[in-house]
Amino acid sequence: MSAEPAVAERADAAAMAVEGPGAGRRRARRDLVGLAVLIAAVVVFPLVAEGQVVFVGVFAGMFALAALGLSLLMGLAGQISLGQAGFLAIGAYTSAVLTTRYEVNSLLAAVVAVAVAVAAAFAVGIPILRLRGHYLALATLGFGIIVAVVANQWEFLGGQSGIFGIGDVAFNGRTYDEPGEQFYLLWATVIVALVLARNLARGRVGRALGAVHDSEVAAETLGIDTFRLRLQVFVLSAALAGIAGTGYAHVVGVVNAQSASFQLSVELLLMAVVGGLGSVWGAILGAVFVEGLGEALTTFIPRVIPGASGEYQLIGFGLLLTLSVIFLPGGFVQAGRRLSGLGGRRSAGATVPGPGPASSGGAVAVREQGAAVEPLLPREGRPPPGTVVLRVTGLERHFGGVRAVDGVDLEVRTGEIVALIGPNGAGKTTLFNVVSGVLPPTAGTVEVGGRPVSSAARPPRPHTVAAAGAARTFQNLQIFTSMTVAGNVAVGRHLRSRGGIVAGALAFPARREERAIDAEARRLAGLLGLDDVVDTRAADLPFGRQRLVEVARALAAEPDRLLLDEPMAGLAAAERADLAHLLRRRRAGGMAILRGEHDMEAGMARADRGGVLDDGHRIALGPPSAIADDPAVIAAYLGTDDDTALPPPRTASGTTADGTTAGGATAAGATAAGPAPGGAPAGGTTAGGATAAGEADRRGDGGGRA
Amino acid sequence: MIDLLQLVVAGLSTGAAYGLVGVGFVAIHSVTGIINLAQGEFAMVAGFVAIALLGAGFPLAAAAVAAVVTVAVLAGVIERVAVAPAAGSSAVVYIMLTLGVSTTLKATALLVAGPQPRALPAFTPGVLDLGGVQVRPQDLWILVATVIAAAALYVFLERTTTGRAFRACAEQPVAARLVGISPSRMSTLSWVLAGIVGAVAGVVSSPVFQTDWNIGLFLGLKGFVAASMGGLASIPAAILGGLLLGVVERLVAGYISSGLQDAVAFFLLIILLVARPSGVFGRTGAVARV
Repeated sequence: MSAEPAVAERADAAAMAVEGPGAGRRRARRDLVGLAVLIAAVVVFPLVAEGQVVFVGVFAGMFALAALGLSLLMGLAGQISLGQAGFLAIGAYTSAVLTTRYEVNSLLAAVVAVAVAVAAAFAVGIPILRLRGHYLALATLGFGIIVAVVANQWEFLGGQSGIFGIGDVAFNGRTYDEPGEQFYLLWATVIVALVLARNLARGRVGRALGAVHDSEVAAETLGIDTFRLRLQVFVLSAALAGIAGTGYAHVVGVVNAQSASFQLSVELLLMAVVGGLGSVWGAILGAVFVEGLGEALTTFIPRVIPGASGEYQLIGFGLLLTLSVIFLPGGFVQAGRRLSGLGGRRSAGATVPGPGPASSGGAVAVREQGAAVEPLLPREGRPPPGTVVLRVTGLERHFGGVRAVDGVDLEVRTGEIVALIGPNGAGKTTLFNVVSGVLPPTAGTVEVGGRPVSSAARPPRPHTVAAAGAARTFQNLQIFTSMTVAGNVAVGRHLRSRGGIVAGALAFPARREERAIDAEARRLAGLLGLDDVVDTRAADLPFGRQRLVEVARALAAEPDRLLLDEPMAGLAAAERADLAHLLRRRRAGGMAILRGEHDMEAGMARADRGGVLDDGHRIALGPPSAIADDPAVIAAYLGTDDDTALPPPRTASGTTADGTTAGGATAAGATAAGPAPGGAPAGGTTAGGATAAGEADRRGDGGGRA
Repeated sequence: MIDLLQLVVAGLSTGAAYGLVGVGFVAIHSVTGIINLAQGEFAMVAGFVAIALLGAGFPLAAAAVAAVVTVAVLAGVIERVAVAPAAGSSAVVYIMLTLGVSTTLKATALLVAGPQPRALPAFTPGVLDLGGVQVRPQDLWILVATVIAAAALYVFLERTTTGRAFRACAEQPVAARLVGISPSRMSTLSWVLAGIVGAVAGVVSSPVFQTDWNIGLFLGLKGFVAASMGGLASIPAAILGGLLLGVVERLVAGYISSGLQDAVAFFLLIILLVARPSGVFGRTGAVARV
C-alpha cells in the first residue's frame, strides 16, 4: 500500500527479486566472491588481532545476527522494529536460566532460546502486525520496553541485578573459553545465517515480500497472504535475535534488563540502516562498522572531553543514523554498488529500450495474425463451458451515505466475456473491488465457483478470492514499481508455485521451480508484446505497457475468472486490437472474463454479454444489440428529453454527451467505432493516459497519508 | 478515599505533562505526517537549559522563558537541517531520522551534563492541604502551565491568520498550497510549536520528574500514547489522553506495583493501537484502504 517514495529507502532490496538470467548469474558470482572474502577474513582475523580487538569482533558477529533479521524485516517487508533488543533479551534470558539453573548444555539451551523467541514473536506479531508505519514502530518499541520492565521486576529473572555467572559455551564435553574460539563459533553461525537469508531474499518469498512492499493490494489479489508473510519474516527476524541473545549470555556472562534496552534496539537498527536495508551483506558490514566505531569512540571521547562519562558512543550513533538516512539512504551496499558501477536502478533505467507503444503493438499484431481464435491456455480440470463461475447476488457497497453499488446481480460463465459498462462514477471499480475481495460488501454475496467468498458477515481477504481462482487488474495501475517486467509477472505465479521459507532458504529444493517461474513469466510477457522490455523496471515503461504488464501478471495466475478493470484505457489502437484478440483466445481456452469499460461501444464491441451500471444500479443486462437499444441505457448515457440542463450532445464526435468524461470516452469511442482511423489512436492514448495518471496521483497522495 | 484522591491529583499533574508533550506530536503529525521521536528530547533539553541558566544566576522565570525560546529555535533548526532535506520520504525513513536526532540530543546532554539527574527547584515551596489531600504546588504549576499553553495554542490556531493557514495545511494540504500557503514554512512552524510545548512540559515538570539525559524517551513515548488516544489529530484529545494515562499510571503504581508503572503506558498503547487505531476520543470512520 505504500506509495512510491517508500521505494527509495529500500536500497536495492528489490533488485534481489528476479531479474534477467544474466543479472542473476552476475549477482550470484559476486555473492560467492563476497562469501569467500568473508570466510577468509573470519579465519585470519583472530590469528592476527589482539585479544581486545577479537572481543570487539565477537560482539560484531553477535549483533550482526540480530541486525540481519532486522534488515530482512525492514528491507524486504518494509516494516520497522524498534524492539529487536527485546527478542535478543528473551533469547539471552532463556539461555542464562537454562545453563545456570538447570545445567542444560549450551547447544540445547540455544535451541530452546530460539524457540522461546519465536513463540514470543508469534504472540506479539499476531496482534501488532496489523498496524502500519509509525504505529507499528511504536508498538514494537512498547514491546521492547515491556520486556525490560518485566526483566527488572520479575524475581525469577534475578530482578535488577539479572542473572550472572553464565559460563562459556560448552557442549560435547568441550568448553569454548578463548575469545578466538568464541569468534569462530559466532561467525560460523553468521555465515550460515547469511547464506540462508540471501537465498530466501532471492527466491519466491523475497519476491512476494517485495511485491507486498510495492503494492499490497496487488500482491493480495495475486494470492499472497500478506499478513502471514509479514508474520513469517517478523518471526524469522526474532529467531535471529534469539540466537544473538544466546551468544550475548555466554559472551557477557551477565544478563540483565540492559540487554532489552532501547539503546541496543537503536544500535541494531543503526547497523541495518548503515549497511543497507534489505541487503544481507549490509547487515554484516553495518554490525562490524558500528561495533568498531563504538569501540573507537569509547577510547577517543574521554581524551577529548576530560571528565565525560556514560555511554560515549551514543553521540556517534545518533549522528551516524541521521546523516546516513539523509545522505546514504541505501547504506554501504548502495554506495559500494555506485562506486563499482555495478548497476543501481539508475543504470537499469538508462538502458530502457524505448520503443513507442504503437511500434511494439505492431510486433504483437504480426505474431498473432493468422492465429484466428486458437484457444490459449486451456487448463485441465476447468469447469465445462457455460458453467457459472462467478455469481454476484444483491451486492451493495455504501461509503457513508453514498451507495456506490446498490443491489447488483450478475453471473459470469466460463467461455464468455462480459462487459460491465457504465459512465465514470457508476460504481464499476467499486464492484470490482468488492468482487475481488479488496473491499467488504455492505450487503449481498459474491460466489466464486459456487463457493461464497465474500459477504457482509464474512469479510473477504483478497488472497482467498485469488486462491479460489480469480485474478484482476486495476484501473489505477498497481505495478510493482521496484521490479522488472519479468519480476512483476513472476509474482503472478505465486499461487502456482510452492517454495516456502525453508525451501527458499536452502535454495536447492526451490531452484527448479524458480527457473520454471522465470521461463513462464518471460513467455507470458512475450505474449503481450513485452519481450523487448522483460528485464526493464516496470515503472520505467509507458503507461499503456504497464497496463499490459498487469494483464500478463493476472494471466500468470492461470485464473478461471479474469477481472479486468478498464483494460483498454491508455492503450494504443494496435494494442487494443491485440489485447482484444488475446482475450478472445483466452475465452476459447475456457476462461470467464469480466471487463469494466466506461465507453459503451468499445466495451460492447468485443463482449458476448453486457451489463450496464448507472449510479450503483444494474440497469440492463443482455447481448450487446439489446443493450444498445435499451431505453434505460440510452437515458443514462445520452440523457432524456427532460434533462435540458445538460449540455447538448457533441455531435462532432457523435458518441457521448457526458461532459465530464468527454476526453477519454470520446477518443476511445472514436478508436473503437472506425477501423483504426489515422490520428485517432494517438489522441485516445493521450487523453486516456492523462486521466488515469491523474487518478493515480491522487491515489498516491491518499496512500502516503494513510 | 484520601489515598485515591491523592493518587488522582498526582496523576493529573504528571498526565498534564504527558498531554503537553502529546500536543507536540499532534502539531507535527497533523501538518507533516511525521512522528517526531525527538519530541521527548525537547523537554529534556529545556530542563537542562533552565537548570544551567538558573545555576548561572538568572532568576527562575527568566531561565524558564529562555529555555523555552532556546528549544523553539532548536526545533526549527532541526526541521530545516535534518528533516526538510528528506522531504517526501516514507514514514519509516522519518522514524529513523528523528530517532537519529533524538539519540544525538540525548548523547549531547549526556556528554555535557553527565549521567546524574538534576532538577529545577519547585517554583513555590511547601505543601497545600486541600481537605486532607496533600497537593504539591508544583502539581498545580504543571496543570496551570498546561492549560495556558494549550489555550494559547488554541487562540493562535483559531484567531490568527498564520494559525488558520496552519490548520488549512493540516486539513487540506493541496488546497492550502493552491491559495499560497507554503507547506515547508508550515512544517517549520509545526516543529517550532512542538518545541515550545515540549519545552514548557520539560521545564514545569523538572522539579517533579527530575531531568536526566534519558528522560526524553519516557516523556516522549508517554506523550505519544496520549496523542494516540486522539488519533494523533486533536489537541484537546491529546491532553485528555495524557491526563487519563497519568491517573491510570499512578493508580497502578499505588495499588499494584510501582515497578510496573512504566509498562502501563505501553500496554495501553499496544491495546489501543490494535483495538482502536483512530483513538479513544477519535472518530471511527470507515476508511477504505484502496
